[in-house]
Amino acid sequence: MAKKKPFGKLNGREAMVVGIIILMIILFSLLSPTFRTYSTFVSVLDMAYYIALMAIGVTFPLITGGVDLSIGTGLICYSLFGGYLIVHKDMPVVVALLACMVLSIIIGTLNGFLIAFMELPPFLATLCTCMITRGLGSLLSGGFGVSWPSALEEAGWFRKIFRFTSANGRVIPIGIVVVVVLVLLMNFILNHTKVGRYTIAIGSNKEATRLSGVNVKFYHVFAYVISGFFAGLAAIAYSATYVTIYPGSGAGFELDAIGGAIVGGVSASGGVGTIVGAFLGVIVITLMKVGLPFIGLQANWQQIFTGLVLIGAVLIDVVKKKK
Amino acid sequence: MEKIKQNAFVKKAGFNRIILVGVMLLMYLAFGALTKGNFFGMSRILNIMNYVYFLGFLSLGVTFVIATGGIDFSIGPVMFCCALVSGYSFLTHGVPMAVALVLSVVIGLLFGIFNGYLVAYWKVPPFIVSMASMNIAKGIAAVFTKTQSVSWPQSSDPNGWYRNFVKMGNIPTGLIIFLVAAIICGIILNKTKAGRYILCLGSNKEAVRLSGVDVKKWEMLAYVICGILVGIAAIFFVGAYTTVQPGYGDQYNNEAIAGCVMGGTSMAGGLASIGGTVIGVLIISLLQQGILALGFSKDYQFIITGFIVIAAVYADVSARRRKN
Amino acid sequence: MGEVILTMKGIDKSFPGVHALDHVDLEVRKGEVLALMGENGAGKSTLMKVLTGIYKKDSGTITYEGKEVEFKNTREAQDAGVVIVHQELNMLGHLTVAQNLFIGREFKKGITIDDKKMNEEAKKLFEKLNVDIDPTEKMSNLTVGKQQMCEIAKAVSFDAKVIIFDEPSAALTEAEIEEMFKIIRDLKKKDIAMVYISHRMDEIKVITDRVTVMRDGTYVGTLITKDCTKEDIINMMVGRVIYEDPKTHSAVPADAPVVLKVENLNAGKMVQNVSFELHKGEILGFSGLMGAGRTETARALFGADPKESGDIYINGEKVTINSPEDAVKYGIGYLSEDRKRYGIVVQKTVAENTTMACLYNFMKGIFIDKKKEEKVAQDYVDALATKTPGVDQLVVNLSGGNQQKVVIAKWLARNCDILIFDEPTRGIDVGAKNEIYKLMNKLAAEGKSIIMISSEMTEILRMSDRIVIMCEGKKTGEIDIAEATQENIMNLATREIN
Repeated sequence: MAKKKPFGKLNGREAMVVGIIILMIILFSLLSPTFRTYSTFVSVLDMAYYIALMAIGVTFPLITGGVDLSIGTGLICYSLFGGYLIVHKDMPVVVALLACMVLSIIIGTLNGFLIAFMELPPFLATLCTCMITRGLGSLLSGGFGVSWPSALEEAGWFRKIFRFTSANGRVIPIGIVVVVVLVLLMNFILNHTKVGRYTIAIGSNKEATRLSGVNVKFYHVFAYVISGFFAGLAAIAYSATYVTIYPGSGAGFELDAIGGAIVGGVSASGGVGTIVGAFLGVIVITLMKVGLPFIGLQANWQQIFTGLVLIGAVLIDVVKKKK
Repeated sequence: MEKIKQNAFVKKAGFNRIILVGVMLLMYLAFGALTKGNFFGMSRILNIMNYVYFLGFLSLGVTFVIATGGIDFSIGPVMFCCALVSGYSFLTHGVPMAVALVLSVVIGLLFGIFNGYLVAYWKVPPFIVSMASMNIAKGIAAVFTKTQSVSWPQSSDPNGWYRNFVKMGNIPTGLIIFLVAAIICGIILNKTKAGRYILCLGSNKEAVRLSGVDVKKWEMLAYVICGILVGIAAIFFVGAYTTVQPGYGDQYNNEAIAGCVMGGTSMAGGLASIGGTVIGVLIISLLQQGILALGFSKDYQFIITGFIVIAAVYADVSARRRKN
Repeated sequence: MGEVILTMKGIDKSFPGVHALDHVDLEVRKGEVLALMGENGAGKSTLMKVLTGIYKKDSGTITYEGKEVEFKNTREAQDAGVVIVHQELNMLGHLTVAQNLFIGREFKKGITIDDKKMNEEAKKLFEKLNVDIDPTEKMSNLTVGKQQMCEIAKAVSFDAKVIIFDEPSAALTEAEIEEMFKIIRDLKKKDIAMVYISHRMDEIKVITDRVTVMRDGTYVGTLITKDCTKEDIINMMVGRVIYEDPKTHSAVPADAPVVLKVENLNAGKMVQNVSFELHKGEILGFSGLMGAGRTETARALFGADPKESGDIYINGEKVTINSPEDAVKYGIGYLSEDRKRYGIVVQKTVAENTTMACLYNFMKGIFIDKKKEEKVAQDYVDALATKTPGVDQLVVNLSGGNQQKVVIAKWLARNCDILIFDEPTRGIDVGAKNEIYKLMNKLAAEGKSIIMISSEMTEILRMSDRIVIMCEGKKTGEIDIAEATQENIMNLATREIN
């Protein structure tokens, strides 16, 4: 809730990230003619959906001063679970989607419980649930990849939430509307409801918040439930945009989301951050991931760059604090 | 009960460690019974030992980091990065085997320096550093090998001599080397200046700083030692399993940390036991191999290890809470 | 003057080894400001903590609005209208002013928080108090003074009938204090009773109606402010009989060389242009009230905190000290007031703590020579009469006095010639105190030079050869022990209107 917003509704950091995004687009477009195509645009968005959804969720634990490392493998686990229900149990897609969300909320609650009540360090607790969801996902799918119904089938209706193919075969990425609406909704929740207010308060000074009569443990758990819930939504987005989900993948997704959030100004030490910022940060990460191969760097350079960008973004905060 | 705890031998060996050894033996017998004796077979024992070697080195390394009150969960992917880059250099670039082995350790060392410098001198939270280097390691390995898996030479190959580190004829050299390394680590931790300062700064960094000690240097050193041991772990990994694939290695983070915390090293820092880590690693390895021997898939390993780490860390957290 | 709203009678409270409050009485009336004065450790804060339910009293009664009460916690006291404005601010820096004021009791509109209403209410509150703070400003962007105003506003918003100010002016500027006084006068008109804890004599004269003085956990008396002088109050504060013989003259020969000279040391607000000299074999007392900047001076000198400017000379040679490492290299040892946090590593043994600063002396190749380490540690245990079952005992198991001896041993083992003792006997029982004093005298006699920061007047008068007095980050005087009295020290330690 910074008061000075030099660029309309964005704060300084967000405006900076928008600048970076524009620069990246210009740079990639200049260096690679193939980057300037509609299909690249769509693939950037396709990738942005699930990362952005994860980032929206993980911003809450980050603001409390914690972290959630289980969102990446969690996403795959939920997606495999849903797919398993459709493929092997002949359940309707609606049930699978609900099952996805229920499982994600359960894992989120487990994380919150381990951290708020059992007082385990957040990175360790969620590192464990990361491994657990990874094993669980693989078990549920019997170790094989699972495909959700394709867009051509009737049961593939859910894919149209993110990617609408018009009559003349043109793909319209309406998922961006869904994501932006969720970004705005969660931004509202972070800034204008008790859940959001106490999330920030916990990250700012947990003890003072407790002494103000706030049920700190409940809201602490709730931050991780939100994180889990959005990993569930991300699982749906992922299932809707990609053809086959493989067990064992998903490790590393969390870095894209957390990295995005931190690039967007969410502090690794808690208290500070906006959902809009996290979303913009994710766009930077996604552009990098999609764009690097266009300028001749093979896909795996992304990982190195994402790691370095994460360190760089944290160092900005460290240096600022030193001053 | 109290009487037993006061017994001279028990005191020296550590009550908790004796319990852990008991747990280990019981587990071994239980797996043996469940597999109708199959588990006692020589090949199983070799499997278990192969697991112990590389996991042991990882766990020894992370013990130093946890002793400072930090964490490093990039060790698994870094180990893979070491094995992939050095193995690929050997296979494709014609680097001699001896140099490749040294290269593996050097890569581990470089990651240790990178992690330690960021944590100690730049005060970047250890979990962020771990996350970043985990991906950097995976990225470097994939870029360097062009995402191909790397198979190290078999023992029949003239360049397969490095496998003698793991097993030379019927002599379990790996076990000997691992135990010697553990003893050296124990000496470093308990008998040298480095170990003394690492443990003390994990317990109360500010008091050590105000005693005129360069705490940053020693904190960084813990990560560097960890890096070197990870580089060595890579050699034992390929010595046992031959083939490494880019993009993996995450699961060993948890197992290494589990072995360490189970053995009595406190997540809050300042308290570490190399002997405990060795026993912890044995238990984890038994468990992993036991699960497989019972016919369960790898997935159960992930899930069970996850819950074991939670239990071990919770035991540590609640023990500390009781003390305060 | 209004009717009595709050009476505390015969309040008694003991902590292990300390009789913190000995049948203390206190009476507050509606619409008055009662000053509560006394030296550090006189029991003012403890009494207020008993009142607001942070501590449980051992005996005595509290009567509030005609009824006997015993609050279980601050929240209960708050709800009843007894609110404390803390010295340390309990603020959530990342939230706005209004969000802080109403944390835990937000206004709601459906499921959302009604920030608009909160801002309006906060604005009304500030208007009522005549302060100019924007409720939508982020808390961390406010000055400490403004944050203090917010704390006061928060107290008022609880419909407080009794407000306790615990050294509210410590971090405020002149203008901010003026502003706060305006608020206090306003609150007085609204018949609110206030207890004002402060060391600043000038403020007491300006703002309070009566003064209650405490000393060593007992009630001394109450005066009407406008009828008394500063001297009257000081006499009540210090009027104890000093049992242990104070030093009558300095034990340092006049020609003793200067081992440490500090010139114009500056480090933030708490250390402004501090200069002093320390002679060989001298115990230099640093006296002053809480927040005088003595510890900060010591930490800046020792390199534990960064300093802005200032020259340090050791044995006449100019030296640069930027870290504790440098300080230790020049033979300076610092014994912190907070041993557990800054002095010892409690989970380690006596021997390990003893050799912490000089481990290089105990190396045999790359190994630590544990035999030698244990022997030297044992020597210090014997020499300092540290009570421990052995040098392999964990320090956490030792008493406060013995922990202090381990810290002393650490610096002696390092061969430090200049020792800074910051509150050397805090949290140490009487018997052990005497031992520490004897030890310090012995060290000085052996030629070590000691800076002793102490908040206990008796300690200062008993131990020091010379006394430096500080007040609010500045050195306000230097007295030779031959001329020192409780009164002239206290005079220099309390602020006077210039």
